[in-house]
Amino acid sequence: MTIKETQEKLKRKEISHREMVSSFLSRIKERNEKTNSLLSVFEDVIDKESSVKEDLPLYGAVFVVKDNILIKDERCTSGSKILEHYVAPFDATVIEKIKEGGGVFVGKGNMDEFAMGSSTENSAFGPARNPLDLERVPGGSSGGPAAAVSDGMCNVALGSDTGGSIRQPSAFCGVVGFKPTYGTVSRSGVIAMASSFDQVGPIAKNVEDAELVFKVIHGKDVLDSVTSDLVSKVVKKKIRVGVPKEYFVEGISKDIKETIEGAISKVDASEFEVVEISLPHTEYALPAYEIIMASEVSANMARYDGIRYGLEFGRPAAKSIQDAYLKNRGEGFGKEVKRRVILGTYALSAGYYDAYYVKAQKIRALIAEDFKKAFAKVDVILTPTTPTLPFKIGEKIEDPLSMHLSDIFTVTANLAGLPAITLPCGEKKGLPVGAQILAKRFHEDTLFAVAKKCEKIWK
Amino acid sequence: MHKKEIERLAFFARIKLDREELNNAPQEIQSILHYIQKLSDVDTEGVDPLFHFPELENITREDTAETVDRETQKRMMGMGKDKDDYLRVESIL
Repeated sequence: MTIKETQEKLKRKEISHREMVSSFLSRIKERNEKTNSLLSVFEDVIDKESSVKEDLPLYGAVFVVKDNILIKDERCTSGSKILEHYVAPFDATVIEKIKEGGGVFVGKGNMDEFAMGSSTENSAFGPARNPLDLERVPGGSSGGPAAAVSDGMCNVALGSDTGGSIRQPSAFCGVVGFKPTYGTVSRSGVIAMASSFDQVGPIAKNVEDAELVFKVIHGKDVLDSVTSDLVSKVVKKKIRVGVPKEYFVEGISKDIKETIEGAISKVDASEFEVVEISLPHTEYALPAYEIIMASEVSANMARYDGIRYGLEFGRPAAKSIQDAYLKNRGEGFGKEVKRRVILGTYALSAGYYDAYYVKAQKIRALIAEDFKKAFAKVDVILTPTTPTLPFKIGEKIEDPLSMHLSDIFTVTANLAGLPAITLPCGEKKGLPVGAQILAKRFHEDTLFAVAKKCEKIWK
Repeated sequence: MHKKEIERLAFFARIKLDREELNNAPQEIQSILHYIQKLSDVDTEGVDPLFHFPELENITREDTAETVDRETQKRMMGMGKDKDDYLRVESIL
């Protein structure tokens, strides 16, 4: 059920808010054992909702929140053993805004540890499963929130996206996922992964709900020093859609290629004009992302020493503080986190910094320039969201590089700081296929307008 | 990338790897480094790195002191073991 449908039912008094929340809670009870989508469930929410007012934008909306976003007095694990017992001392800015906007929370979503992964198999609390096919992954890292929306455990969810972590799981679970322009949504109270990429955004049943949530959570915040109120309100009458030829070459599966091409021809037959464009540096996006992401990860993970924020593995057996750090981090972090911290430590070390980190940031500039040139000719860009259909649990976990390739079409938006949305555009073998639409920085209004029309075209 | 190099990096990152991790890491890290190598094909002469986005300006604020009670302070710090309101850690020297 969408937020809008819920609000109409509440206003017509067909259902009380209490009844509605309780129906979501029973759905969770029935399904979470099978899907492991939620790491915690707030049963007591049922007694908290009496003060919600009808004129609030998110009146009645029931949320699941990815477990790297702080809700005061609730556990926040970020999918990691090292934060297993950490309880948030304050609300993230996005949580404050949703509370003020009338939304309520039913639980925290499962995720890859510290948002590092594309399948939710890297969660320290067991993998989440795709509700559309329990043998398959829900994608990641926001796999739990995307699965929860798809499976009817909530109206809408909040995820975070560093290289595709909202969009890829949304595509795998057949729902809408939106990563806002870098700098539009505050990350205060959001556990950092790679700070020059991280953005928080909604996972929803439709584009309208995603837009509604974005309008509530966006805006400048003194607690996130790179946020801005900038927003473009100009939506052109005649829209040109660019399709980059580089997104249809190596790595894309036949299932995705056929479905997306079908979706594009439907768009071409509509009022939109579709043109082929070129983003020549696309093949360098993922390797550049790997370097910058790992470098920023290694810096952000430094704060978890097992002494602050909870778990204390080595203590009191550790001989010295150094010994304690080594043990706490060795036992508290999972394999993927350790790999990325070590790779980042290498990329930032003396003698390698220019060759890896600075080089990758230069290529990032070239990728942003590719988009700038493309947006001089078109208003939005349409691509596949993922190179494959949802894969089987266990299929890629032993091969980190093949797992990382799952983000090949989504990392470019993070490198260039662009807003990007995924929405279902068809099905193959009973599994959903997502299409991604990107727009210029701060042009979310154009993005939502185009996405809403495409949603109708593809239904 | 040799096992010795991995051990050195892991020590810098303050991570103790178990034997299995130490055996697998060189190959895993090497495969990612190999993939990254293709960046050297791109001519970046004269390109400025994109460290931050030009439209975004740093927001600054006054550094003001606020008094909070001990319990809140401990929670904000995420303090685990404490003794007489001080965080207890292993010996440093």
